[in-house]
Parts: sequence; C-alpha cells; structure tokens
Amino acid sequence: MEKLMNQLSENILDKFSMDYLRNQVLKNAYGNDDTVIAGLDPRILIAWYLFFGLVPWFVNDLSFLLGSFLLVMITTLLARVAGLVLFLFGLGVFSQTGYLFLVTLLFGGDASAVAPLLILTLKVATISLASVTVFSGLDPDKLSNGLMWYGCPERLSFSISYAYRMLPMLMEEFQNVLLSYRLRGNPPAHDTFSGKVRYLIYQVKIIMESFYPLMLNTAKRSRTTVEALELRGYRYAAVNKTVKKIRLSALKVTYNDLLFLAISVLWVALCLLCSTLF
Amino acid sequence: MNAMQKNTITQSQKLMIFVLTMSLYGLATLFTELIPKFQVGLVEFSIEYFLFIPLTLGMLFDPLSAALGAATGELVFSEIMLGQFGGLGELEKFLTVTIGVYIAGRLVKDPKNRVMVGIAAITGTAAQLLMGTIVDIAKVQFAVEDFEAVAGLPESVFATEGFAFLNDLLFSGIFFCLLPTLYLVPKLYGKIEPLLGMAPRTAQSAVAGLNPKSVVLCLIGFLCAVTAEMAATAGMSLIDWEAEWAESGTAMAMGMVAAAAVAVIAILVIKKNAERKVA
Repeated sequence: MEKLMNQLSENILDKFSMDYLRNQVLKNAYGNDDTVIAGLDPRILIAWYLFFGLVPWFVNDLSFLLGSFLLVMITTLLARVAGLVLFLFGLGVFSQTGYLFLVTLLFGGDASAVAPLLILTLKVATISLASVTVFSGLDPDKLSNGLMWYGCPERLSFSISYAYRMLPMLMEEFQNVLLSYRLRGNPPAHDTFSGKVRYLIYQVKIIMESFYPLMLNTAKRSRTTVEALELRGYRYAAVNKTVKKIRLSALKVTYNDLLFLAISVLWVALCLLCSTLF
Repeated sequence: MNAMQKNTITQSQKLMIFVLTMSLYGLATLFTELIPKFQVGLVEFSIEYFLFIPLTLGMLFDPLSAALGAATGELVFSEIMLGQFGGLGELEKFLTVTIGVYIAGRLVKDPKNRVMVGIAAITGTAAQLLMGTIVDIAKVQFAVEDFEAVAGLPESVFATEGFAFLNDLLFSGIFFCLLPTLYLVPKLYGKIEPLLGMAPRTAQSAVAGLNPKSVVLCLIGFLCAVTAEMAATAGMSLIDWEAEWAESGTAMAMGMVAAAAVAVIAILVIKKNAERKVA
C-alpha cells in the first residue's frame, strides 16, 4: 500500500512538470505545419470530419467500422500528432469501454459482452481519431478561419486564436505563482502513510490557493485585452460582412483537397462493397 | 443615475468576464486532462472538477457570461487544443456546464452570504453532474446493439453511472467545488470587480435572483442536450432502412467504387496537367 501511494504521488508530481506540459501543447499546436494534413483546406477537412465524426455512431456494420478506423488511423499518422495526445486518446478509449467491460464481468456477464463492446470501442476510437486528425493536424488560425466560414459564432474563432496565444503565458504565470507558494510554504513531513496523505492534501490546497492571485492577474489582463480589442473596433468587425470576406479570402481549395476527398470516398465505397458482399 | 449605471453591465464588460472565465477554466481543465486519475478500490480520486473557478466568477459577476465563458474555455483549451473533440458529446458537456454555472450564479443574491454561496455551489455542481449522468446512460443504451440482450450490461451501466455520480458529487463536489468556492468568493469580493471596472454585486443588483424565466431557459437547454443524444435513436432507424436497401445493392456499391476511382484518377490527371502548365 505504501509503495502504491509512493508511486502515485511521484507519478502525479512528475506529470505536473509545467515545462513538459507546455512543450507538448505548443508542439501540438504549432509543431507540425508541414504535414500533408496541415496543407489541406480547413473547410474540406471539417466537412470530412463531420462525416467520420457522426456516421460511425449510427452504423453497426463491422467491416464498415473497421475500414473507417483504418482510414482515420492513417490520417492521424500523416498529421504527426504529439505523443501526449495519442496517449490521452488511448487512455480515453480504455476508460470509456474497458472499464465497462470489467464491470459487466462483475455483474455476471460473460464473453458474449465482448462483441457489442468491441463495436462500441471501434466507434469511439474512429470518432476520436478523426477529431485528433482535424483539430491537432490543422494549425489554430486555419482552423478558426474554417469554422468561421461555416458560420460558427465569431466568439468561438476568437476564443481559439486567443487560447493558443495566451496559453503559454498563462501556464508560465501559474507556475510562477505555484513556485512562490512552495517557497514560502512549509510542507508536512511525508515519511509515514498519514504524512503522505497530508502531503497530497497540502499540494492540492496550494494549487487551489494559487488560483486566488491568478484570478486577480487574469482579470487585469482580460480587461487590457478587451480594451485593446475595442480600440480596434472588434465588436463592430465581428458582425461586419466585408471584414469577414477579407479574412476568409485566403482560403482556397486545391487539387490536393479534392484528391483527399476522392480517396476517402473511394475507401468508404470499398468498405460498403465489402459489407454487402459478406 | 449614477446608481443605475453601476448596476448594469456594458457589452465590453461582459466580454471581459467571458475572456476571464474562459482562460482560467480552460487552463484548469487542461490540467485535469493531463493529470492521471487513480483509483483506490472502487473509489476514483480524480481532480476532475475545477468547477469552482466558473462558480466563483459566476457568483461575483454576470452569471451568463461566466457560464458561456467556462463552457467555451473547456471546449477550446482541453478538447480542441488537445485534439479530443468528440462531436455530439461535447455539445452535451457544453450545455450542462453552462446550465450548472448559470443556476449557481443566479441563486446567489448577495455574495457576502456564505450559506447561500455554499448551497448554490453544491446545487450547481449537482445539476451539472446529474444531467451528465442521465445523458451518459442514454448514450450507452443507444450505442450498443441489443442493449437488453447482453447479460449484465444494463445493470452495470446503471450501477457504474450512479456510483460515479455519487462519487463525483461527494468527493469532487465537496473538495473541489464547495470548499474552494467558500474560500474564494468572500476573499475576492470587492477586490476583483474594480479590476474590471465594475461595482461589486449586491442584493439590489439587476442580475441577482432566480426567476421562472431563467428556469425555463435552463430546461430548454437541457432538452437540447438530450435531443442531441436522441438524434442517435432516430439515426439508428434511418440506417436500418438504408441497410435493407444496401443488401440488394451490391451493384450500387460497385458503382460507387467505380465512380470514386474515376474521380481519383481524373483529379490526378488534372493535377499533373496543371503542374505542367505552371512549369
């Protein structure tokens, strides 16, 4: 038990290294501009995602699901997604269905529960990988332009662009606040088991408390941001059609996009053919 | 005149609240995505809900802006940035977080009243969790074929979801929503508002109080969240009908393959030609 607790607290503290997180997130956002997926038109990719993000939910045919899964796996590889994201994907799929399987066994289910759960897993995996391809593969500015073209609220595109730019700064600030709390604090001794529990509670408490200065700082910053936006006429520009047209004029559908769509359609048609044959 | 101005919030102040909640809650949810969860026995200790951030801000400022900001922050920072956007499921999360925070924010009349702050914090959390649980059960029921036929599966879904709800409410709800909110609201009250150029919220402020109109709005929002999941059932029957059509349509599928193959070849040829012209 003690070993387990030790491992757990170590694990959490290791993962919580801010630099590691920041690097992974930045790598994910800006690190892969030169891939095949990143070069595609965002509108085409979003339309592609709408198909692979919705249709698998409604289809129970195994060969179709397997085919779609293979396709999105290839596109994910093409997009060169950061390792952390893939790890989270694996964890997410397992926690959604693997856990359910274990509990099913507990309630007297047997191996017959595997087949429907396998289909459920395939569905979940296909949908998540499709989203990983589109949302990690595209860089944020392209993504928000694509969403805007489809008539998503301006707030959402603004939030995406803002989030990607502000996040490194916010993380650094949070780290600084956290470190200053640690410097001034006196953590409880953690040799015994109860000491370890107290240590964990202490760490969590510090994280909670460091949100107090962070909230005040962020309040100041968001006022500055909004005032700067207002000076440039942001709220007027957000609803103005001419501004939107100028912003979106950079989007262009090329032969590569059409080729990507056509290959996907070909693959899906092949899968459908297989499912009607067998 | 002066008092009137103090009680109303301008459009740009709403945007400030939106940006503030979005960045803070987004940052927090990003951490929760990255920190591994761990289990002791059946109890799952996850630092799942940093919900205290939007709860606190929703009680101190305009609840609707804070609620929308929190939901958007979660969507953008932890789902889209990490590439975990899950389609329909995100709509449900977006709406339940918005409604939970909004309810909590509207319940508090006077942020100085600690009892009311506590009740509102736990009510908002419980509302959000309960809606999530209902939608989760519905989702598994519609996604798995022959749900009732698999032995042990229905009971296990109800048991795991019900247990997760209680666990989240009693563990995350109290430690990560109730206590931090009780600590932060009185501490921030009167300090954070001037930074956004506003007067602190009082019992007389325009936004306080939960009226029938907002309750109806919340109900409509929840119905939307459920409808998003119900679309799955409707979609099921649609595909069944399509599958019947497809059975007799091997030729049809062959035609589709041929058409798609022709399209791929045509695009390749056109692309080659276009490149030659440029070169």
